Amino acid sequence: MIASIIVYGLVNSAILALIAIGFSLTFGISGVANFAYGGFYLFSGYLTWMLLKYLGLPFGLAIPIAVLATGLLGFLTYWVILLRVRGIVLSEVIATFALGVGMLEFFRWKGFVTYEFTLPYFAKGTVMIAGVPLDYQRLIIIGIGLALVLFLCLFTHHTRIGLSFRGIAQNERTAISLGIESDWTAALSLALGSALAAVAAIAILPLGIISINVGYDVLLIAVAVGIIGGLESVAGILVGSLILGYAQVITGMYLAPEWTMVVYLAAIVVVLAIKPSGLFGKFKELEERV
Amino acid sequence: MKLFWRVVGRWFLVILALFLLFAGISAAEEPIVIGVPTALGSIEGRDGWMAIQMAVEEINAKGGVLVGGKRRPLKAYSIDTREHEPGIPVHDALTAVEKLILEKKPHAIVLGAFRSEILLASMDLIAKYKLPYICSIAMTPVFQKKILQNYDQYKYMFRNCLNAVYLVKYLGQVMGFIGKEFGFNRAYLIVQDTLWAKATGKGLQKWYEKNGWRVVGFDAYPLGATDFSSSLIKVRAKKAQVVVPIFDMPQSGILLKQARSMKVPALLCGFISPVAPENAWQVFEGEVEGMVNFIFEIGPLPVKAVPKSVAFNRNFGKRWGEEARVRLSGHGPGPTYDAVYIMADAIERAGSLDPDAIVKALEKTDMMGVVGRIRFGKDHQAVYGLDPKEAAIGCAFQWKKPGVRVPVFPEIVAEGKIELPPYMK
Amino acid sequence: MRYRKERLDRGIKARCEDIFALSSWREILYLLLPRAVPVLGLLVFPLLKGVVGLYWEKVLVITCAIGLLALSWDLMASVGLVSLGQALFFGAGAYIAGALNQAFGLSPLITIPMGTLGGALFCTLLLFPVLRLRGVYFAIVTLILPLLFGRVIETTKVLGGTEGMSGLSPLPGIWFELYVPVVALLIALFGFRRLINEDYGLVLQGIRDNDRAVMSGAINIYKFKAQAVFMAGVVGAFSGAFMTHYYQFVGIPAFALDYSILPLTCAVLGGVGSFAGPTLGAFILVPLSEVLRAFGTLRVVFYSAILIICVVGLPEGVFHYIQRKYHQFERLVEVE
Repeated sequence: MIASIIVYGLVNSAILALIAIGFSLTFGISGVANFAYGGFYLFSGYLTWMLLKYLGLPFGLAIPIAVLATGLLGFLTYWVILLRVRGIVLSEVIATFALGVGMLEFFRWKGFVTYEFTLPYFAKGTVMIAGVPLDYQRLIIIGIGLALVLFLCLFTHHTRIGLSFRGIAQNERTAISLGIESDWTAALSLALGSALAAVAAIAILPLGIISINVGYDVLLIAVAVGIIGGLESVAGILVGSLILGYAQVITGMYLAPEWTMVVYLAAIVVVLAIKPSGLFGKFKELEERV
Repeated sequence: MKLFWRVVGRWFLVILALFLLFAGISAAEEPIVIGVPTALGSIEGRDGWMAIQMAVEEINAKGGVLVGGKRRPLKAYSIDTREHEPGIPVHDALTAVEKLILEKKPHAIVLGAFRSEILLASMDLIAKYKLPYICSIAMTPVFQKKILQNYDQYKYMFRNCLNAVYLVKYLGQVMGFIGKEFGFNRAYLIVQDTLWAKATGKGLQKWYEKNGWRVVGFDAYPLGATDFSSSLIKVRAKKAQVVVPIFDMPQSGILLKQARSMKVPALLCGFISPVAPENAWQVFEGEVEGMVNFIFEIGPLPVKAVPKSVAFNRNFGKRWGEEARVRLSGHGPGPTYDAVYIMADAIERAGSLDPDAIVKALEKTDMMGVVGRIRFGKDHQAVYGLDPKEAAIGCAFQWKKPGVRVPVFPEIVAEGKIELPPYMK
Repeated sequence: MRYRKERLDRGIKARCEDIFALSSWREILYLLLPRAVPVLGLLVFPLLKGVVGLYWEKVLVITCAIGLLALSWDLMASVGLVSLGQALFFGAGAYIAGALNQAFGLSPLITIPMGTLGGALFCTLLLFPVLRLRGVYFAIVTLILPLLFGRVIETTKVLGGTEGMSGLSPLPGIWFELYVPVVALLIALFGFRRLINEDYGLVLQGIRDNDRAVMSGAINIYKFKAQAVFMAGVVGAFSGAFMTHYYQFVGIPAFALDYSILPLTCAVLGGVGSFAGPTLGAFILVPLSEVLRAFGTLRVVFYSAILIICVVGLPEGVFHYIQRKYHQFERLVEVE
């Protein structure tokens, strides 16, 4: 049993981390709210499904197309919607949240709700780890999760573009006076975040079906991981997802499966009440509470 | 961009003002109106609505319904209550039902509520409007209790689909067979957190305890849950031999996928709604092999011993196309199709559209339908049993290579026997 | 030839400043009509139920319930607390009223007031620890809290669990059903408007604009914030308690996202800050959504589109726009 908990806890944490990365990149690191995250996540899933089913494209071609398309959608979202309300965080949140809900309900209206909507596995087969069967797909997810977290860390600390993402969040005026084009950088961060959402979707959705509730849950998960770990820090994503992932699996095993959903909701409330910046966030005392 | 948004904002106000000038729609006069307020987005609702339209067309083609000397056509109107979605407020669904009643003024309601909670909540509404109502999806036994307790108020409501009590009886008999044949005695119940599924689970648990089985686990998952691994890990750890899933949400297909990918060595026997239709073999790429699933009322599964079910299946394919036919859900289409015929038959026997007369005629119903022989008990529930010549039947089938659903229960209609799936041999 | 737009107060508005408003019937009507017409309209509408049909009277009740929620949202927004979870107030009031009714059999005339006060108290105490948060963080907490309570009720199966409590006592009579929400809406609307114009309201708006400045004026902003939340809670919980008895049912959907998004959309559409705006928004959106019922889930897509358009393109809201047109006129003037 213990081996199962450790292995499945790791898988769960990897899934949570993968989901949270795109959101943290835009909201945590660049300071641009993208609460339409759930909508983009599902959008990429449905797009891939449609490319595979109706156009018959091979998997290897469909994935890059879907990722690029979602990135493009994120880019456009910035220019069309967020540009006018940039800086007023609450309006950004409301506008993008409405966009996300609109996209999700649009998919629901189109009838994308039955079990026929699934994405194929990357590879089929199972491997035994310490007596616990783990299928290749989940193993791949752990791999992708680790790789992306590492990539994010290096990207935001050592490349020009990554550093400019952090720059516009820290102090926009200074960034502009240093020659960083704030609007383009923000749009790029939104695009990259959406593309990461697409990668997460394509890796994780084969485990289940593409259903509308996943869209709502994904946003909550991303917010939970971000808040627990601290919105601006990459180490925060790692630690936050580990904590949440194991907490979920343990409550599922020892309490009852219904409580897993309550865990991350309660975690958000508790963390926000005690230390809003999370575990690794910079202590922006005056910014977040009076 | 700024100017664009301002223009959009202004024009939006104009369009909004125009929109507000639209009024509602009026009702129809001559035909006999049948109302269908249900969750049209669910597979049971979607297929049920298609079955109703098919039945209405068939009856109208034969000239309509004879009432008081005149032949009048049937007309069916539907409204989507969206009640299968988690988090839809009950009042939203009830408002939709009331809107249908007030606008289209139906003489009867067919198909009815999808969720048991909505069915119970709408009983008072239906009693107020005195509408004969045949429910074909919601399965809670509390429905019958309320009718018996308050007959005069709730007598307009009937149900002709399977209910949780009968499902438990069927499940119990299948389990008895499995216990005798393979010597199994450890079961794990995984149910959906809704009225009918929990009632079924608890009833089955009692059966198990009376018959010498051990129930090593009982988990309930809320609507919309997508991860069942914690239960499956426990199934493996406690060495359960039979897993009984009871779900009607589409995400329950994930349970099957996870069970297969985690290589859980147990026989799956219960109801997972995505596994019931004919195309499940392709959708799940053969992973459904060996699962014993229930079809609550025959029709979506053609049973050779009941020719009307075979005819229904074939006609459905002719009317709506092959793709719709292989997607027929395992619960709802059969009795829904029958319900239109039952209602038409009752109206003809009553000779009028007076609700009380129709109710009396419905209580005396005795006809052969797609699901077998249809009769209502004193609690207005259709009687289900094991012989299609005596009562209505549901049936259990097992998925076998090369992708066929083989009916295995009840014995009278069985075309094969339950075998252990290949991964358990 | 270049032009610029010039906005001037209408003559009658200029004449209506101060006591000159009483100098002629025309001036009196100018000030009175925008307030009197909706009030009279609302009070008379229930009497027309024979003409308009019972269905639209029901829509009126739902509109008033959503309008009350929108008003409570607006009050909280006037203090600077933007909440994405009005469903918390609605659900708290609904469950307390429903639980009292089912457990003790008290009549709706008792459970509704108790649900209102109990719900408001519960929400204020719950939100008290997080009143210090600003901006987005507060919004996130309010978004999560109704979902959390919904899930907790579902898993612990208290208060009816997934099935909820049904068969609760109905309201005494159709006139009660129709007039109580209307009167409550009018009291809340005019009460809040009056409040925000008094000194108390100035402090609230000050907290919204610059809370640190207010703090440095030796005013305890938490006390004011808590009081504002309580007042908003009273209005929101009343809406919930009333609807419980109207539908004779309360369940987890009382905490649904619908009850958070719809008041938000009404307020943003109508105009944040002016309480008449959210009310107007409610009276536009709820009947519209009933008319659009045939489109099913597409309605929510409409709400979202409206919300986006209003937040981005029409941030002042419909009410401010109408108010501006009523008081001022625009003309093009040549630029020399």
